[in-house]
Amino acid sequence: MNLEEVSYSIKNLWERRTRSVLTVLSILMGITAIFTLMSFGEGMKVYMDVLADEVGADKLFIQSKGIGAPGTDENFYISKDEIDFVDKIKGTKDVNGFYMKIGELKFKKELRYGYLLGFSPDDKEFMEEVFTVSTIKGRSLENGDLNKITLGYNYQLPKKVFDKPLAPGDKIQVNGNDFEVVGFYDEIGGPDDNNMYLLDEAFEILYPESKDKYAMVMLRSDKSIDPQDLAEKIEDKLRKYKGQDEGKEDFFVETFADALEQFGIIINVINSVLILIALVSVIVASVNIMNTMYTAVLERTKEIGIMKAIGARNSKILFIFVFESGFLGLVGGALGVVLGYFISSFGGSIAAMSGLPMLQPVFPPALTIGCILFATTIGAVSGFFPALQASKLKPVDALRYE
Amino acid sequence: MISDNFKLAFKNLSQRRLRSWLTMIGIFIGIASVVSLIGLGQGLRIAITSQFDFLGTDILSVQASGNTFGPPSSSVPNALSDDLVDKIEKINGVEASYNRYIASGKLEFNDKQVIGLAASIPMGEDRKLFEKMLNLKTQSGRMLKQEDNKRLVLGSSFSDDSIFGKSVNAGDKVLLNDVKFEVIGVLEKKGNFMIDGSVLLNENTLLDLTGDDGTTDIIAVKVKDEKNIDKVKFDIEKFLRKERDVKIGEEDFAVTSPQAMLEALDSVLIGVNIFVFIIAAISLLVGGIGIMNTMYTAVLERTNEIGIMKAIGATNSSIFLLFFIESGFLGLVGGIIGILLGVLLAYGMSAIGRIALGSDLIQASVPMSLIIGSLCFSFILGTFFGVIPAYQASKLQPVEALRKK
Repeated sequence: MNLEEVSYSIKNLWERRTRSVLTVLSILMGITAIFTLMSFGEGMKVYMDVLADEVGADKLFIQSKGIGAPGTDENFYISKDEIDFVDKIKGTKDVNGFYMKIGELKFKKELRYGYLLGFSPDDKEFMEEVFTVSTIKGRSLENGDLNKITLGYNYQLPKKVFDKPLAPGDKIQVNGNDFEVVGFYDEIGGPDDNNMYLLDEAFEILYPESKDKYAMVMLRSDKSIDPQDLAEKIEDKLRKYKGQDEGKEDFFVETFADALEQFGIIINVINSVLILIALVSVIVASVNIMNTMYTAVLERTKEIGIMKAIGARNSKILFIFVFESGFLGLVGGALGVVLGYFISSFGGSIAAMSGLPMLQPVFPPALTIGCILFATTIGAVSGFFPALQASKLKPVDALRYE
Repeated sequence: MISDNFKLAFKNLSQRRLRSWLTMIGIFIGIASVVSLIGLGQGLRIAITSQFDFLGTDILSVQASGNTFGPPSSSVPNALSDDLVDKIEKINGVEASYNRYIASGKLEFNDKQVIGLAASIPMGEDRKLFEKMLNLKTQSGRMLKQEDNKRLVLGSSFSDDSIFGKSVNAGDKVLLNDVKFEVIGVLEKKGNFMIDGSVLLNENTLLDLTGDDGTTDIIAVKVKDEKNIDKVKFDIEKFLRKERDVKIGEEDFAVTSPQAMLEALDSVLIGVNIFVFIIAAISLLVGGIGIMNTMYTAVLERTNEIGIMKAIGATNSSIFLLFFIESGFLGLVGGIIGILLGVLLAYGMSAIGRIALGSDLIQASVPMSLIIGSLCFSFILGTFFGVIPAYQASKLQPVEALRKK
C-alpha cells in the first residue's frame, strides 16, 4: 500500500462529495438495519445464557402433555404418587410438584387473570432458584401463611396489571377469597412477571379438586449423573410406572437448558429472516457503489491514460479504484454502526419501559468489527469490476477519450 | 414539446446504458423484495382469516374469562354454568343458543397416540342448527345420529396418514381415553385447522367420558337479525352481569363475535406485515438514493449541454421536466421489472414453502392494488429523488454552464 495512492483516492472522493455522500448513505442504511437487528439477537442470546446460568444446568422438569399452557388443562397432570416415585429414582434430588392454574385477582373493583403458582414452603428456595426470582419488597411466604400471597414484579407497577400499584399489606381477592399481599418478586421478563405465588395448602383450599394433581414437577439432578441422561431415565421409568407404551406417554421430561435452547433457536430463526431481508438493501447499495465506480472510471478515463503513460502499473490502477470503493464501504459501515448503536439503545430503552427486559441490545466488539469489515468488503467487491475495467484500459485509447 | 422531452430523456438514458441499468437494478431489487414479501404476508393473512369465513356474522360466543393461555377447554376460575343457555335463549333477539363442551383427551389408533381436543355436538333441536351453521358433510361414512353411542366423527386431517401414520376410515376402531370408539364418519375438508382436526362426539357421550360438573366451555348464540347483534350482545352481557352478580367493568366472562376475534387476529398479522415491510422498504430507499446519484451525475456531465439549451431559449421548467422525466422513467421501468420479478418470487417461494413445510397456509396473494401501488410508488420514488438534481439543473446560469468544462 502506498500513501500517495491512498491520498489520491481520498482526494477524488472528496472532489465528488455529493456522489460520495449519497453512496455512503446507501450502504449505511443496510448496515444500520443489520447492526440493529443483530445487536438485539445478541442481547437475546446473552439473556438466555444468563437465564440458563441462574436456573442452573442441573435442573429438570416434568410436565404433562395437555393442551395449552401448563396448568390450563386439568385432564392431564402429575400425581403425588408419581412424584414420590420419581423421588426414589437414583440421581434425583429436590423433587417438587408445583400447582399452576389461572386465577382471578380482584383489587379495588378491577378484575385481572394471571397464573397462580402453589408451592410447598419447604421448596421455597428451590422455586425461587428455578423461577430466578428474589424478594424486592416485603417478604416471601412462610409456613402457615394461608391467606397471604406474594406477587410478581408487574403488580407493584402502576398501570401495568392494575391501574394502581399494589404494596405489601394490600388486601386483594383471589377467586373471591381475601388475601393479604406480603411481598413482591423482582423482574423476570415476560408474562412470568404477572405470576402470583401461594403456599400449596392455600392453593388446595382454593382448588380442592386439584389436590395432589400437579401441573409441573421440577427437580435437580445429582452430581453423579448427566442431567440429559437423567431426563431419559426418568421418562423411561415413569412411563413404565404409569403403564404407558413408548411414544404414548402423556408427559415429558426435559432439562431447563434444553427448553431454553429450543426457545433460543426459534428466536434465532426469526432474527435471521429479518437480517436476510435487511441484506437486500445491502445488495442494492452494492449496485449503487458499482454504479458510482463505473461513473468514476468513465470520468477519469483520461486521467487513467495519463497515469499509465507515465508508468503506472495495471495493479496500481486496480488498487486505487478498489481502495476508493472499499473506503466508501468503510465509512458507510462505520457510520451505520454508530447510527445502529443509537437506534438499538433507543429501542432497548423503549422495550425496557414496556416490560420486555429480554429485548436489550448487546454490542460485542465482534459485531461492530464484523459489520464494518462486511461493509468494507462489500464496497471493495462492488468496486472490483469497474476497477478491473479501469486497469485494463489501453493508455492510448484512454488518452484519446473525450 | 412534451414528446420531444420524452425522446430526449430516453436518448440520454440509452446513451448511458450501463448506468441506467445499474440504477434500475437497484430499484427493481427493492420493488421485487417488497412485492414478494407483501404478497406472501398478504397470502398468509388471507389463508388464516379465510379459515373462519364459514362462521356467520350472526353468531356470538360466551366464554368465562381466564383462559388466555389455553384453548376453550382450559379450566377457568369461575366457569359458566350449563343452565344459563336456556335463559339466554329467552333474551329478545336470540334465535337459538346451545352449550359446547370441549375436552382434552388421548386418541389412539394404529398403535400411536395423540393428545388433542374433543368437542360435543348438541342434542335435540339445537343439533340441526349446529349442523347447518357449520355445514358439515362427511367424505366417508355418515354424521353422528342422536342415538349413536361410543361412536365419533373425525375431521378430514385424519383421512391421510399424517397423524397416525395410516389413514383412519369410517368403520375403524379408535381408543379415546382408553375407551373403544367406532369412527362412524370422516368429514370433508373444510380448510379450517380446528374443524379439520376435530374429534366430534354426541354431547351425552362426551359428558359420560369426562364427567358432567354442570359447567360448559362455550355458549354459542345465534341472533335472529345480524343487524341487532350489538344490541343482543349488550343484553346478554347485562343478563350475565346480573346472573353472576358482577358490576360493569368487573365482568368475569366475555361475549364475543367470531368477527371481532378475527379482526383482532388480523390486526396482529397486519402488524407483522408492516414490520417486515419497513425493513424491506430500506432497500427501496437505497434504490432511490441510487437514482439521485445517477441524476446528479447526469446533471454534472451535461452542464455544458444545459447551458447550450438555455442559450438557445430553453426555459427553466423545460430543463426541469427533462431531468424529471428521466428519473421518473428510471423508477417506473425499475418498478415494472421489479413487480414482475416480485410476483414470480412470491408464487415461487410459496410453492416451495408449501412443499417444504407441507402447510396450506403458505400462500401468496398479489392483489391488483399492490401492483398498481408499487408501480405508482416506483415512479414517485424516481421523481422524488430526481427532483433536487433536476431543480439544480434548471437553476443553472446559462453563462456559467457554458463555461464549465
